[in-house]
Amino acid sequence: MAEDMSIESYLSQGGKLSNPTNVPPRYRAELMKMMATFVDSELAGAAGFADVINAGPGIKERIAAAKIVLEKTDNADAVLRLLGEFGADTARYATSHPWTSRLPRDSEIGSRRSEHDMRLSVLNYPLDGWVDAVTMNLCMGLAVGQQLGELQQVSYQPLADAIRRVAPIETRHVELAEEGLARLVEQGQSDAIKASVAYWRPRVEPMFGDVPQERFEQLRNWGLRHRSNGELGASWNAQLDKSLDRLDLTA
Amino acid sequence: MARFHPLTVTDVRKTIRDAVVVSLQPADGGDFDFTQGQYLTFRREFDGTELRRSYSICAARSDGLLQVGIKKVDGGAFSTWANEDLQPGDTLEAMEPMGSFFTPLDPTQARNYLGFAGGSGITPVLSILKTTLRAEPRSTFTLVYANRGVNTIMFREELEDLKNEYMGRLTVIHVLESDAQDIDLFTGRVDAEKCAALFRHWIDITTIDTAFICGPEPMMLGIAAALREHGLDDAQIKFELFASAQPGRLKRKATATGDTGSAKTTEASVTLDGSARSFTMDKDQTVLDAALENAIDAPYACKAGVCSTCRCKVLEGEVEMVANHALEDYEVQRGYVLSCQSFPVTDRVVVDFDQ
Repeated sequence: MAEDMSIESYLSQGGKLSNPTNVPPRYRAELMKMMATFVDSELAGAAGFADVINAGPGIKERIAAAKIVLEKTDNADAVLRLLGEFGADTARYATSHPWTSRLPRDSEIGSRRSEHDMRLSVLNYPLDGWVDAVTMNLCMGLAVGQQLGELQQVSYQPLADAIRRVAPIETRHVELAEEGLARLVEQGQSDAIKASVAYWRPRVEPMFGDVPQERFEQLRNWGLRHRSNGELGASWNAQLDKSLDRLDLTA
Repeated sequence: MARFHPLTVTDVRKTIRDAVVVSLQPADGGDFDFTQGQYLTFRREFDGTELRRSYSICAARSDGLLQVGIKKVDGGAFSTWANEDLQPGDTLEAMEPMGSFFTPLDPTQARNYLGFAGGSGITPVLSILKTTLRAEPRSTFTLVYANRGVNTIMFREELEDLKNEYMGRLTVIHVLESDAQDIDLFTGRVDAEKCAALFRHWIDITTIDTAFICGPEPMMLGIAAALREHGLDDAQIKFELFASAQPGRLKRKATATGDTGSAKTTEASVTLDGSARSFTMDKDQTVLDAALENAIDAPYACKAGVCSTCRCKVLEGEVEMVANHALEDYEVQRGYVLSCQSFPVTDRVVVDFDQ
């Protein structure tokens, strides 16, 4: 049975890896970066939303916001546990960054990450009240959905499995956002929502920024990426348009 | 953080000529309550080099026993030692059970499982099979077990006993590469083609809920392709790539370039929380690991150069940072490095975690 095949060749043919011990060093680094990005983004997202729970106009809204905070933290934990299997100190990790910290709302961040953590750059912008929070949750939730689609296919099976469990929960958060916005539209907040969309859309977009072709090919050969950022971004834009259309916010 | 705990070896039993089943008992702490299909990672020093090896647990969850199967690999230091020298009463160090090569069990369900094992890939599959048949009384398990010949079949007798114990619920198909069998189908390699033939004549693939595959890379690829072709999706196919083809996690060799200092060691000084400590460290060790080893509580999180928690500033000397996914160029220019990725180049290095 012992036919020799390199891990690289195995991966390029769609093979899956199942634990840290058989992960090559460079693959490991890229995989951990992806996992850290997910964990940090969930923790930062949850922390940001925790601050707006009390801004919710009614009990239903506050329940929805609190649920999102709980579940995003839970989802972070699911992947943080995998980071722990690579030797990360999970207890220290979860508390080592100021997850609630944000930069001024008019900062020029682009796709740069902050100095201290791997959260997606957009999560360094602060939320500005309830309408803004719900709008951001829709824009960002749809974008995260695109990335979770990618992550469900990654060649590191424990991560793909974890994301498969997490994805329906995150999808539900997007539904909550759209339901919340529908109520806000009824309350005559359409203009405020449109202003928020105009703020958030270009700030979420850099998530789908260009990855140098060579690097993307490397990641694809390792089974860590499948669809290009261009494809993911286009798909996200189309979904967001559809959602805004349903909410009658496009005009 | 993953920690190692001592385990006492209570039994070492040969299952075939070059494989042993090792029974273990936790000696001092650690939660070794495992889930079927998980593995243990052991560490041991060989000639001053720490080797880490992972071996799957072969016991069932309800066996009340911690047992791993270790097959001797050509040139494999750990597996050779385990097969030749390991004795009851010895102590092994292992991390708590890890791995996600399993699906949750539910006694009320009647499911059909399909397992593929190649050679010593049987160990986690055996654990899954035994645990599942016991925990889900209405479920069935079909095992396709690939080996070179009859005398390399690990757990052959145990599988026969299990077939009798779970009559009608456990099916074992041995596929042998070099020994001819009565049925041609059961001779040769388990690849996509062989799977397709098995699915035509022996296994009703449309009824399978979950498939487990553990074996060498080409075998896993072939089986996975066949399963997908026959309608299973990724969530239904569980893989465990066992460590046969793994290179050892050997220490990084010091690269000899013209500029490096002549000594193999470096005089290091590390400042943390206002106090400086000095020690001698090997050049093939990272600054972070050396600091931790010298009881300095240096900050770190991912140890993969991705989180920048371990950032420090080099004040004197030079280090080589082998990976960096976190620091911006301007930070590097200012002398910041990721200590978890940095190896000393000069004979003296001074770093500061406080800046």
